[in-house]
Amino acid sequence: MFTTSSYLEARHHELRKTRMAMVDGNLTSNLRSVQAGVSARAYIDGYWGFASAPADGAGVQAQVRSQAAANARAMAVFGARPSLMLPGLHYRGEQRLMGRSPMSAGDCGDRMAELHAYCMARYPGLKSTRVMTTDELHTKALHTDGGGESVALIQRVAVAVVLVGEDDHGTPIEVRESLSGIGSFGDIDWSVQALAARLDRLHGHLQAKRHAVPARGGLHTVVLAPDLAGMLAHEAMGHPCEADSVLSGAITADLQGKHVASELISMVDLAHHYNGQETLCPVYVDDEGTPAEDVLMIDRGVLRQFMHSRETAARMGLPPSGSARAYGPDDEPLVRMRNTAILPGSSTLDELVAGVEDGYLLLDTSNGQADATTEFMFGVNLAYESRGGKVGAAVRDTTLSGSALKVLQSVDGVGNDMKWSCGGYCGKKQPMVVSVGGPSLRARAQLGGQ
Amino acid sequence: MTMTFSTEQAADRAVQALRTRGFDSIQVTVSETQRVELNLARNEPSLLRSNAARKLSATGIVGGRRASAEGSNLSAEGVTTLVEALWEAANAAPSDAANAVSQGQRLQVSRGPQDADPTALADALRSVLAWRAEHTPTMMIEEAEASHVHQRLHTRTHAAGGEGSTVDLNLGWCELSVFGLAREDGRTSSFNGAGGSAEALTDATERFGLGRMMRELTQQVHTQPLGERFVGDVVLAPGAVSDLLGWLMGQLGDGPLIDGSSVYRDSVGALIASPLLTLKSRYDAPGCAPLSADAFVTPPVTLLEAGRLTQLTPSYYGSRKTGLPHKPVASEGWELLAGTTPLAGIIAAVPRGALVDRLSMGRPAPNGDFSGVIKNAFALTDGRIGAALSETMINGNVAQMLKDVSAVSVERIDGGSIVLPWLRIGGLHFS
Repeated sequence: MFTTSSYLEARHHELRKTRMAMVDGNLTSNLRSVQAGVSARAYIDGYWGFASAPADGAGVQAQVRSQAAANARAMAVFGARPSLMLPGLHYRGEQRLMGRSPMSAGDCGDRMAELHAYCMARYPGLKSTRVMTTDELHTKALHTDGGGESVALIQRVAVAVVLVGEDDHGTPIEVRESLSGIGSFGDIDWSVQALAARLDRLHGHLQAKRHAVPARGGLHTVVLAPDLAGMLAHEAMGHPCEADSVLSGAITADLQGKHVASELISMVDLAHHYNGQETLCPVYVDDEGTPAEDVLMIDRGVLRQFMHSRETAARMGLPPSGSARAYGPDDEPLVRMRNTAILPGSSTLDELVAGVEDGYLLLDTSNGQADATTEFMFGVNLAYESRGGKVGAAVRDTTLSGSALKVLQSVDGVGNDMKWSCGGYCGKKQPMVVSVGGPSLRARAQLGGQ
Repeated sequence: MTMTFSTEQAADRAVQALRTRGFDSIQVTVSETQRVELNLARNEPSLLRSNAARKLSATGIVGGRRASAEGSNLSAEGVTTLVEALWEAANAAPSDAANAVSQGQRLQVSRGPQDADPTALADALRSVLAWRAEHTPTMMIEEAEASHVHQRLHTRTHAAGGEGSTVDLNLGWCELSVFGLAREDGRTSSFNGAGGSAEALTDATERFGLGRMMRELTQQVHTQPLGERFVGDVVLAPGAVSDLLGWLMGQLGDGPLIDGSSVYRDSVGALIASPLLTLKSRYDAPGCAPLSADAFVTPPVTLLEAGRLTQLTPSYYGSRKTGLPHKPVASEGWELLAGTTPLAGIIAAVPRGALVDRLSMGRPAPNGDFSGVIKNAFALTDGRIGAALSETMINGNVAQMLKDVSAVSVERIDGGSIVLPWLRIGGLHFS
């Protein structure tokens, strides 16, 4: 493993985005953006310096390198300190776009209008719809002084349809169907024909929610659909396994090699492939030029590995995992997840539900948060009671929470299904594009309610 | 890094390019932002950053068809590319008679420190480190930032037959934030953070509730679940209060007003919150300006007058779409007026409940129903602060919570763009 006590990386980063939103058939947002910048980060005498600027100026690359080095040296105002020996290889290679041609702005707008019109015509009593679409493409050309030269790409697309209705008391209720994937709008099938069956199911959930009952607050047996298991993987154990969090005192610091979950649980942060297929957020090289490697965080219940940048790897005496990622042209790399998942087991979803005497089936989530203690929370906006092994009444929006350690230790069934998604952002100083995956799970966790 | 670039001329050139291309109505903003930021990581100085950024934001309307585009390349070639992309997107959009841009607005604001003072930024972080070492040695500052931001922004609008708008902002401000946890005897507290913006960062730990947050973290290492269900009170710290206000502001804006899901659409003039609550603008706060996102000058406003809703806040588009009056507001620069009860008095009056610094919750339902985990919280029993809590949830309705505020503290935290007191709210279901 190569090591160095001073280091410089320089990045040219272009970020292209499309954001469109249609509210009740009105195109309220119709935005395209292109942000291109150059940045450099230097490590000198134990301190970091970072500089960035728009990419179109003459001589700007040399300017930001010089500024980054000057910034690192300026940190000496805080006193001299020893340099870390930063480990890791330096990747050389170029990633290429493999997707189909993108859809035009007009085709996207037409498709959104078709979806709105289809829903309003097919589902009487529907109050309105919201259709949101987004895609983004990151192109990062990276140079490291250790010999790294790479071009990396992250491209993802997401579409969401929200059906808005009213419950029996005239109170607004809503349900959401999301679709996401690698590539651009041309790479996923979000035509009315392709989504018709999913929208029918979604409308069925909306009808059930009209008569929803409140969740009973407290500890319950819950079956998490794959979307929630992916969120659990990311929020509950993914963040506490980022090595900068570990070094800052996350509870996982003392748990390496110990049983932290049921033996049914294995959890990974994958670099770029799963089961021979490219993941939704493939990272071949991170933004420090390190070749990206898979990280096995939990192996059959035992906490094994953490995600590392060059710096955290140096501090812990381990190799970096290629997990240092920067969101935008003005951002420095931080330890971030890539494709985080709980691996599938052997049960079917029906078998998991059949084993619930008195609990809940949780189908969709809105957002989530993690904590250094592994205590997590995520919003649940589609759920049903599960009694005597059968699915019962719909449940009003609620929140799932608990200590991830306790929840993962309570897992007594893991589904053989597996679903990946990449529609949201992870937040940690900067946003980040990540994917999450998981099978259905049965566990014990807290639900918010009366 | 410094840039020698005329943002004002770039805005004028972009307007001309859009007019030449054939747009009927145009809004252009060119901004230039310089940021100098010192970072701490894990209780040590770690990084000095300097960012220089430029952005051209353009909205074009042609035949009632509207699109927006943003770019960082302000060269002639970059602007041409952006204009062509905008033209294609706008022409492909559906025509909507509600699409329009602001007219006749005039605003010039120049305020705040224009140049970064790296020595002052370093002093601010030194004082945070020294305060931590002396008062809260078990706290780990996972990350902290002291920064200076200077932004020049020029907005121009044009519409055939109308008088365009001209906005020139030149704002400088400082920011400070601290985020971390406490660790002792192999146990870890929840993380928490505090921060805000100001003209200067002197007396750093006395600002933004930083010292209080750091001290409380060290008291939250040893926690226990509440372990029972009951209906009780919460005393929400300003960070949690901002979650309530965020939901309220969302309900008053475009999305819920256009799709009909806002619970306040017909509530102007009605008492929608406790008479103890008065929410006012403070657009002269650091980094803030009296300007809406769609380029309307925003006069001072009292949005909640002793609990009574004075107006809705649709954008110009939202107003034209819904027929609701257009009374523009800026997104930042708000204060909830102080109450008359000291925080200690509020706590002393709570028979059973919790003092809550942070709400970790799912997005509230459209009607305001929510449940969430109370974080960085202490049990309250018979007016006394008890154990730090873990794994404790509350359940309620945000709209009802705003009505159920029974006390507002004298003390407030001035975060710069928002100033908030503590609130006591009853009727929450604990589990």
